[in-house]
Amino acid sequence: MKIIESLKIKEKAYIEKLENGMTIIIVPKKNTKKKYIIWGTHFGSIDNRFIMPQTGEEVFIPDGVAHFLEHKMFEQPNGTNSLDTLMALGIDANAYTTNDHTAYLFECTDNFYEGLDELMDYVQHPYFTDENVEKEKGIIGQEINMYDDDPSWQLYMNALDCLYKENPIKIDIAGSIESISKITPDVLYKCYNTFYNPSNMTMVICGDFEPEQILQEIKNRLLPKENQGEIKRIYPPKENEKNKSEKVSKMEVSTPMFMIGYKDTQNNKENIIQKHIAIEILLNMIIGKSSNLYQQLYENGTLLSQPDLDYEFTDQYAHILISGFSKDPKLVKQKIDETIQKMQENGLDDEHFNRIKKKIYGDYVVEYNSVADISRMFLADSMKGINSFDYIEEFETVSKEYAEAVLKDIFKEENEAISIIEPNE
Amino acid sequence: MNYQKEEIKQGITLHNLHTENFKTNLYAVFLTIPLQRETTTLNALIGAVLRRGTQNLQTQEQISKQLEGMYGASFNCGIEKTGDNHVLKFYLETLSDEFLPEPENLTEKCISIILDIAFNPLTVNGTFKPEYVEGEKKNLKQIIESKIDNKAKYAYDRCIEEMFKNKPYGLYKFGYVEDLEKITPETLYKQYQQLIANCKIDIFCSGRINSKELSEQIKQNSNIKKLQERKPQYIVNNEKTEQKEDIEVNTVEESMQVTQGKLVIGLDIKDTQENSRYVASVYSAILGGGANSKLFQNVREKQSLAYTAGSSYLKPKSSIFIRCGIEIQNYKKALDTIKEQLEDMKNGKFSEEDLENAKKLIIASIDSITEEQDTEITYYYGQELSDRFVTVEDYKKYISEVTSKQVTELANKIQINTIYFLKD
Repeated sequence: MKIIESLKIKEKAYIEKLENGMTIIIVPKKNTKKKYIIWGTHFGSIDNRFIMPQTGEEVFIPDGVAHFLEHKMFEQPNGTNSLDTLMALGIDANAYTTNDHTAYLFECTDNFYEGLDELMDYVQHPYFTDENVEKEKGIIGQEINMYDDDPSWQLYMNALDCLYKENPIKIDIAGSIESISKITPDVLYKCYNTFYNPSNMTMVICGDFEPEQILQEIKNRLLPKENQGEIKRIYPPKENEKNKSEKVSKMEVSTPMFMIGYKDTQNNKENIIQKHIAIEILLNMIIGKSSNLYQQLYENGTLLSQPDLDYEFTDQYAHILISGFSKDPKLVKQKIDETIQKMQENGLDDEHFNRIKKKIYGDYVVEYNSVADISRMFLADSMKGINSFDYIEEFETVSKEYAEAVLKDIFKEENEAISIIEPNE
Repeated sequence: MNYQKEEIKQGITLHNLHTENFKTNLYAVFLTIPLQRETTTLNALIGAVLRRGTQNLQTQEQISKQLEGMYGASFNCGIEKTGDNHVLKFYLETLSDEFLPEPENLTEKCISIILDIAFNPLTVNGTFKPEYVEGEKKNLKQIIESKIDNKAKYAYDRCIEEMFKNKPYGLYKFGYVEDLEKITPETLYKQYQQLIANCKIDIFCSGRINSKELSEQIKQNSNIKKLQERKPQYIVNNEKTEQKEDIEVNTVEESMQVTQGKLVIGLDIKDTQENSRYVASVYSAILGGGANSKLFQNVREKQSLAYTAGSSYLKPKSSIFIRCGIEIQNYKKALDTIKEQLEDMKNGKFSEEDLENAKKLIIASIDSITEEQDTEITYYYGQELSDRFVTVEDYKKYISEVTSKQVTELANKIQINTIYFLKD
């Protein structure tokens, strides 16, 4: 096993790439009672067109399949549901689907190996019938309705609609009632056979484990499968222009909500960690807790609390999101624009830059408090080809000059858009 | 055991939870007083104003700068209801000294900042700074009005409001818009002085902290020295204090723009026997504790009536709440199915396996108490307010001893108090 280590935070990760192509990452944590395991496939809502490696067939699937498949994996031929079986063991089990991956996980203090049996059994044994697929449409339909009522989700989807003309990130993860009505067992099996091949999967385990021993336990439970090699995914070509500058919807909310987005058109893998760190520092300098802008907008009642700051990226998309509540979202945007322009012209203040850099360091270290955060972080990062420790290790190398260059490259008006949810009349 | 408790002065308690499982130290100060209609809004506003500045760090900007320089220490304050008490909570989290890139003693700084925010607010001419009060009044107004934004939470809050009408627990923790208008810096400061003179004060520290040094630092802190001894006027809530009357079921329906209906049912537990809380925990877990529970299985899985279906036990008030997100036209069917489950529980229609699953679920959650610093703090604080002391190990033992007979007996002492439905 390859061992990577972070001396600063005194943690190690053991990484093994199996012959069948699967990656296993083990992060041992002494003295914790909780154990966490997460098994992910690199298949999310954006993967809607691909070529099956086994047959060479090109497949185009309805929106929401990755999420639908996630729901259906729990169902077993004998009528039991693996989620119930795990819960019955006192194990907290769950699954989720994102834009770029699907993950099955559980957390427990006891019965870890019983849980491992069940997890590795159900993820390796799909069981889809006409009947059980039909039934699921009712349950997922309810979930879609729930998202329709959720202002934060609508705010986010509208922001993406502004930033991209045609990009699969605009697809709702759960799909729509109409799109899921087209899902059949055949579609699900095609996706399963393509994306749930070990070569497309990564497993992360965190807890009080002996790495060699847990690795063997996992190997013992893996069914023999050929390494099928890389899956060819087909995406629309990248666009440099945004779709539109603004989208406003009305919903039942008390205060308007806003999300300001910047599309990162320079999206490539080069220096991705330094760039990510630099963006987090910049966002905090622009509108973080101690920024002049935040103080000003808070004191005059334009902002209620510090906006959420985010940078989301994969190979297919990359954007910055600033979101919050304000009675005057357009004023917030105008002030942010002015602040950025000033920072671009005058450069960054040394003391401010170094203080925020310290803060960001603390934020990264805090992630290592819980086995759940560690596991999910390692999985999500590994789907992007990133080693999570690099955030801690490369932190020092991010200079003020580099951050200034990033500020000029990404925070441009032509890349910017705003989504607003206004209260109903 | 890793838990030490020390009375600093009468009514002021220091709790030290030593643990080396985290990269962080967590400090918390809780101020507890009884919930009352007259002071709810004032208390909610006090927390918000205190956060704005102290005599030493006069603006939020100065506080934030200080915290950012401490490797992004995070400060948070909030207001909660715990039983019939209103609690102002202040939290400060920093990296443990061991994980700093350069050596530094952050503990002392943290203690001094958190106590400064709680007990040494910025005052101008003997009262809170008027701009801060005005600003926070506007913010609090928006927070109170945003109650409608999260529909599931709103439905739950409304059910509680109906169920505890004209009782302290029915009050909304953030207070009321109509009370806000009347508040002046003077009336607010007066309430603040009342509050800190009479409230119960608990200081919690969790992490890699030397307990002797900590205790010394707190005793020598000038803000602590200023505080008087007090006979704190907080309310103890436990299964023995919660008497329930026989009442008619109250059914409330409200309309809003929603595509999914939210059904919340409040149940009374009419059992004041000591330790019935363990039986009630198990009862609630069998009924709606997880994916194996009767509600999840019958309302969601078998009939596809709901996306969410579960129940939770509100220990301090001896109540259970059933919460479902359902299609609006399925209201009657869902309600009937839920009532069937309650009847089944009364008739002992659950298996030994259901009982064991429920216990496992609870024990797993007890095991995780020590895995998060704020959860462990909340656990010990809950003990303070219920006037019980049960170790985590004993707690697990009492849960494992619950029998199906006890659960069935308790089921027959449970009745519906309020049915609340939010529809379109």
